[in-house]
Parts: sequence; structure tokens; C-alpha cells
Amino acid sequence: MFENRTIGLALTVPAALFAAALFILPVGILLSEAFKGDNGFSLMAYVDFFSSPRNQTVFFRTLKLAGLVAVVSAVVGYAAAFCIVSLPAKSRGRMFGLVTLPLMISPVARTYAWLVILGRTGFVNSMLVNMGITDTPFRILFTETAVFIGLLQLFMPLMIISLVSAMENMPRDAIPAARILGANWFQVFTKVILPLTREGLVVGGTLVFTGSMTAYITPAILGGSKVLMLETLLYQRVTVANDFVAASVIAMILIVMAFSANVLLKQIATARRTRV
Amino acid sequence: MKRLLIATTALTLTMGTAASAQDKTLTISVYSFAQDEFKELVYDPFQEQCGCKLVVETGNSVERLAKIEANAASPVIDMAVISTADALSATRKGLLQPIDTAKLSSYDKLYEIAKDPIGDHMAVGYTFYATSIVYRSDKIDGIESWSDLLSPELAGNVALPDVTTNQGPPVLYMLGKAIGDTDPSLTAPIELVSEHADDIVTFYVRSSQLAQLMQQEEIWAAPIGRFAWGQFKDNGFPMAWATPKEGQTGGMNVMVMTKDNGNEDLALEFMDFWLSTPIQTALAEALVDSPANSEVTVSDEIADNLTYGPETANNLDLIPADVMLDQRENWLDQWNNKVMQ
Amino acid sequence: MNRVATWAILGLTLTFLIGPFLIIVIAGLSAGDSLAFPPQGISLKWYIKVFTVESFQASFAMSMFLAIFGTLAALLLGIPAAYGMARYRVPGAEFVRLIVSSPIIVPGIIVGLALLRYLVIPTGVSIALALFLAHTALILPYAVRVVSGSLDNLRVDMEEAALLLGCSRMGAFWRVVLPNIRGGVLAAFILGFVTSFNQVPVSLFLSGPGVRTLPIDMIAYMEINYDPSVAALSALLAVMSVGIVFAAEKFLGFSRYV
Repeated sequence: MFENRTIGLALTVPAALFAAALFILPVGILLSEAFKGDNGFSLMAYVDFFSSPRNQTVFFRTLKLAGLVAVVSAVVGYAAAFCIVSLPAKSRGRMFGLVTLPLMISPVARTYAWLVILGRTGFVNSMLVNMGITDTPFRILFTETAVFIGLLQLFMPLMIISLVSAMENMPRDAIPAARILGANWFQVFTKVILPLTREGLVVGGTLVFTGSMTAYITPAILGGSKVLMLETLLYQRVTVANDFVAASVIAMILIVMAFSANVLLKQIATARRTRV
Repeated sequence: MKRLLIATTALTLTMGTAASAQDKTLTISVYSFAQDEFKELVYDPFQEQCGCKLVVETGNSVERLAKIEANAASPVIDMAVISTADALSATRKGLLQPIDTAKLSSYDKLYEIAKDPIGDHMAVGYTFYATSIVYRSDKIDGIESWSDLLSPELAGNVALPDVTTNQGPPVLYMLGKAIGDTDPSLTAPIELVSEHADDIVTFYVRSSQLAQLMQQEEIWAAPIGRFAWGQFKDNGFPMAWATPKEGQTGGMNVMVMTKDNGNEDLALEFMDFWLSTPIQTALAEALVDSPANSEVTVSDEIADNLTYGPETANNLDLIPADVMLDQRENWLDQWNNKVMQ
Repeated sequence: MNRVATWAILGLTLTFLIGPFLIIVIAGLSAGDSLAFPPQGISLKWYIKVFTVESFQASFAMSMFLAIFGTLAALLLGIPAAYGMARYRVPGAEFVRLIVSSPIIVPGIIVGLALLRYLVIPTGVSIALALFLAHTALILPYAVRVVSGSLDNLRVDMEEAALLLGCSRMGAFWRVVLPNIRGGVLAAFILGFVTSFNQVPVSLFLSGPGVRTLPIDMIAYMEINYDPSVAALSALLAVMSVGIVFAAEKFLGFSRYV
């Protein structure tokens, strides 16, 4: 560690200034727009926003879908991560690579694929019809189900990666030890794996939840105007009605929810730990 | 790779100098449909004629209008083609300037309704269109009335225009007409749509999206403007254009000039080019836009696919631009609170 | 757990995660005119057509430009910042770290909208410049984080030794520090490149006449055309991204740094 403050500042200030001027300042002004009233500060924009039944629907739908994606990602993620960790080192590396692979692919491409798969003449429906399970193809596109599937595929890798990292740091003999002591798999999970991988769950959960909440392409392409989420609503309000106040309100909601998701998950993690 | 390098270097050089002193550039803002045809029939020939560069911005009208408004202080767009209601709205916001029709040599050839559709020569109509229902004739026997859109046979197989699009209010108006309520508040038809919201696959924002939905069999029927008919005709499926007993609605698209763009002469030259008889004929023959120029004559077969002739134009049941504009917020409120819930 | 169950779970998960991508690759090979799976016949025509679409060429160049120069700019700002925070007692270092990493918390669509409204419109800077600045800001947190990670693994006494041996501060940085964090810098570059190239929301509002990033252009194209060319293009881009990351992993052990 070197003591010279001037050099230290000279090195860090440009980056900080850049982020402050081009990022924090414009976003800050945007967020402040919704607090402007006739006589200074006002919360009317928020009251207006939440008094519209449509906005309420969109708000709760966003919460519900993002939450659901996070929960399902966690369930599948634990199973997958556990399997990956139990593989021999070489295949573990490969498997980890395969799970990371989708993250490198453009979300446009990944969402587009679901159009082909979920459409009424798409892959899933033609399989179901061919197998005689149904005569009339299911309507999946432009429903919450389609958006859920798209988001799950988009963000699950983040959960798996976080959980794999957490499990790799687990003491090797923790699970065999618990088994020898007579714990069944459910107990092993709740008493051993879960407490030891909480950090990973918090990181993964935050990433998946906020990612789902702020995704644009998936709800836009797979949901359309009938399944608006906050992000697509924001885009629509600006492009359709030039409504920057609503945009500002939605922006604030998204940022606050991202923060609280992280804080809340951290709280849960630490609260449980003290009890154990 | 070399090309990419050149391109990126060029970008670096031009960045920051938004309005560089490039010789003659005209920036236009147009609807995103049939751009291949427009390029071949309008843009390329015009660039050749004027020796200038044409920059084309596409998108739906609200989006494009929002951008014109955002850049009002230093207009990026020189001329735009939008709906009459949008043109009136832009006029009221002071974003447009009157068009010097004396400089348009084709002006006198236009149908009366296209000459000054919103007053004060703030806009000139270049095409009008009928709006009706297009459907897959292999799936549906036929469509008799606008209310068939909400019939049990079409439940789960129909898309409607979102109320924020240009087609939205006219379609709701015709639905109202079908149930005998033509109040401009559109309360009755919006109520009707909200009761059937679950039967509607999606509320589309761009008509360009519909051809895809028809092919995918997500939908079998949807109301569209005649200008989009071309996309459906050749998609390999049997498609039909309904003539409902309540009649057809529609709209007119107009050219407008942004205020203080400093490029008025070139913009006028381009407008005149687009309105000229040969270009309007070429666009009609390619089934892109129905002509607003009365000197255009096309074969019966072509005319069949267009909104053609003064008689057709006069019989369209249109919502006036000022009603569109003054009721918009009201429609949107009702729509958001009933249909989108 | 037994092997069968392990592979069944992994197989199903991977099918869900990677299957759609394979379907896209195959759908792009269709000989038919509309997007479908299974494809109607096999041909390379859509893969070839992608290269002839003019707007794709322009937007590809734009996205490449943003990804390369945006990441370079972010590294130019991020490396000194990371180094400063790792080696010097900077007053308010935590605050600086918070500011620099803030772009990661705020949704991209808001960044794009804010820059359009408060930078592009009032000052009249070009959309291209705004895009460049926005992408730089978005990549900055990754650059700082990855480079910081490398610096933490580099022992300070190496630099101190260099200084004792008469090296200047600058010289020590160039000769000792930089060669040792080279891998981390490259990893940050690749991560930044891929992030920027695939970025959609920030560019949604930042598009102007003739200025569009490739993902935005693809969305616009597929709204109008339902042919398999977007599938083909998606497949090509995916192969490009995966290829870059794979090469990086092979030659420098990319995942150690990220």
C-alpha cells in the first residue's frame, strides 16, 4: 500500500467523474422528475401511477414473474449445481462451461428461439399434436407462461453458476458426514447444504430476480402488449405517450426493487445463520 | 475485416459532429412497411435525380413523432409521413411549418380530400387507405360484420390493433357501429372488447407483425389497413379481404415539414417527386400505396387491391383528425382501465 | 446420488438451456421461406442472405465499434481506478467504488432514456457518441471488478522491489504490474466486449437515422420479416461470441478471472 494520496486520487478520479457525469447525474435528474409538483416536492406522480388498475396489474405481474423465475431457478439450480459438483474434475469443468454458454449468446437470439418453439405451429405444439396428446394446439405465445419460460432460460445459468461456486467452497466431507450420522437427503439439504451455500443463493437470487425484472426483450417479444411488465410499460409510456413522469416512476420502482431484493435476501441469509 | 475497420474509423471521425457539412442530405421519417419497394421505386430514383443522400428513419408513428418532438430545437428529421391525427397533434405542438404548395408541381393533380386535410396547408395527403378485416380463408368461412371479430368461432384466433395505433380507434368505431353505438367516446366498443379480452391473442402495435402471426397460425383474422395487404397476399396461404356490412373505415397518411429544418427546398423537391404521377403510379402498381394523385390510372386488377378512385375515397367512414386527437386520452384511459387490466 | 439421476438432471437442464440455441441454428438452415422447426429442407441460403442485408452490415459495424472502443475506453478509465484503489490510500475509496459500479444496478433502459433526454437533446451531441458513452459507462464496473481481482492476486512486494531497484512508479507499473495482470485485462476486455455487443435495453432509446446497434436492428427486422435470416444471424453471432470466449478460455484460462 502506497501513501501518496495525490497519485491515488489522480488514478481514481477520472473513472469516478465519468460515471458520475454520464451516469449518476442524468439518471438522477430522470428520477427527480417524478417528485416535481406544483409547489416543489410532491409524491403525486407515484399516487397517480399506483391508482391506475393497469399499472397495478403490471407491477404485481412483474413481481410475480420475477419472483417465480427466481424460485424455480433456485430449485432447478440446486439440483443441477449439486450434480455438477459431484462430477469428476474434468467433466465438471466442461459442464460448467456448457451452463455458462447461453450467457454468451445474444438475448435476442435466445428469445427468438422461443418463438419457433412455443408458437402454435411450433416445436412443442407439433410434438403434442403428433403424439395425440391434444388436437388443438395450445396458445402459449403472448401469455405469462411464455414470458416465464423465456426469462427462466435467460437467467437460470446465473443461479447455477452462483450455486456451483458456493458448493465448491463447501467442506468436502460435510455431506458424507451428515449421511453417516443418519440424516436423510431432505435433512442433508436443509441442515447442511442450504446453510453452507446461502451466500451463493443470495447472489444468484438477486441476479435472477433483478435480471427478470429489468429484462426487456423477453416480455416484448414473447408477451407483447397483453403481458406488459414494468420495463415494457416504461418503453410504451415513453414511445406512445411521451410520458416521462411515468417513466421516472417506473425507473425508481425498478431500482428500489433491485436494491430491496438484495438487502432482503442478505437479511434472510444472515438471520438464519445466527440461529444455526 | 478491412471494411469494418474503415467503417469504424469513419464513425470515429464523424462522431460528435452531428450536423457535419455533408453536401446534401435529406432525412425522412417514414412507416416501416414495404421499405424494399420504397427504396427501389422512390428513394433510389430520387437520390439519382437530386444527387443527394437520403437518410431514412423508420418506426411506428407515435415513436417517430416522439423523436421529432424530442429534437424540436435542432430537427434531425426534415420531412415525415404520418397520420392526419398525428399531423394535427404535431401542428398544435408547433413542430411543423406550412408546406409551400406553390412549389409542388403535382399539387393540383391531387384528390380534393388530400390537398389540405388538416387545414393551413400543414399537411398534404399522399395516400389514403381502407381498413377492414383480413383473414385466412382456409380457416374461416367468411366475415360479414365487424362484430364477427368477437364471435365464438374466432375466439383465441384474432388480433386487434392497440388503441394507441392509427388503426385502433377506427376499428373500435366500426365495432361500435356494429352494435349500434357510434358515440365518439367509444365507451361501448371498449367495454365490448374488454369482455372478450381473453379471446384476443394480442393487441398489435405494428401491422408488420401480423403477417408473421398469420403464418404461424397464432391468428386467423385481424383488422388491417389496405396498405399492409401486400404482405399477406403472397405469404403462401389463402388470405381474403372482408367487406363487412357496416362498411370499411380507414385513414389518410400525409406528408409534413418539420419547423426550421433548414432543408426546406430539398424536402419540397422530395415531396413533389413522391406525389408525381409516375411515382404514384409505380407505388400503386406495386400495391404499396393507393394513389392520392388523381391522374394515376391502373388496371382493374391492380385497382381491385387498392383503395382507388374518388368514389371509394369519399365512401370511407373516417374519424376526423380533431376527434381522434381530442378523444385520444379518454380512449387510452378507458382502454387501460378496462381492457389492459 | 447415482449416476443415472445425475446425468438425467443435467441432461434435462442443458436441453432447456442450450436446446433453443440448437433449434435456432437448424431453423436458419431451412430451405423454406418462413421460420419453422423442423425446417422445410436444408440450405445455406439464409446464412448467405444475412451478409447481403445492408442494414445488418451498418449495424454490425456500429455494434463492433461500440464493443471494441467502448471496452477500450472503459479499461482506460478502469485500470487506473482499480490500481489506485488497490495500491493507494484513496480518500473515500468506498465511495469511488460505489460510484464506479453504480451502472450495474440501474436498468439499461433507464440509462438510455436519461442520456437521450439530458445529454443528446440539450447538448446536441450525436446519438453515436451517446451510445459510445453509455456503453463505456456500462462496461466500466466489469473492467474495475475484473482488474481489481487480478491486482489483489499480485503481491505488492514485487512493485516495491522494482522501486527499490531504481524503477520509477510509472516504470514499475509498465514493467511489473501490467505484464502480470495482462490476463485479467484481456478477460475484462472479452467480458466487456460480449456484454456490450449483446446489450439491448440501453440502445433502445439511443437510435437515430442510420444509427442502430445490431440487436436493435435485428428486432426491427424480425418485426417485418418472418424469414429464417434472423435465426441464421443469431446463430452466427452466437458462434462468434462462444468462439471468442472459448479461445480466451483455451489460451488464457478466462474463467479464472471472471
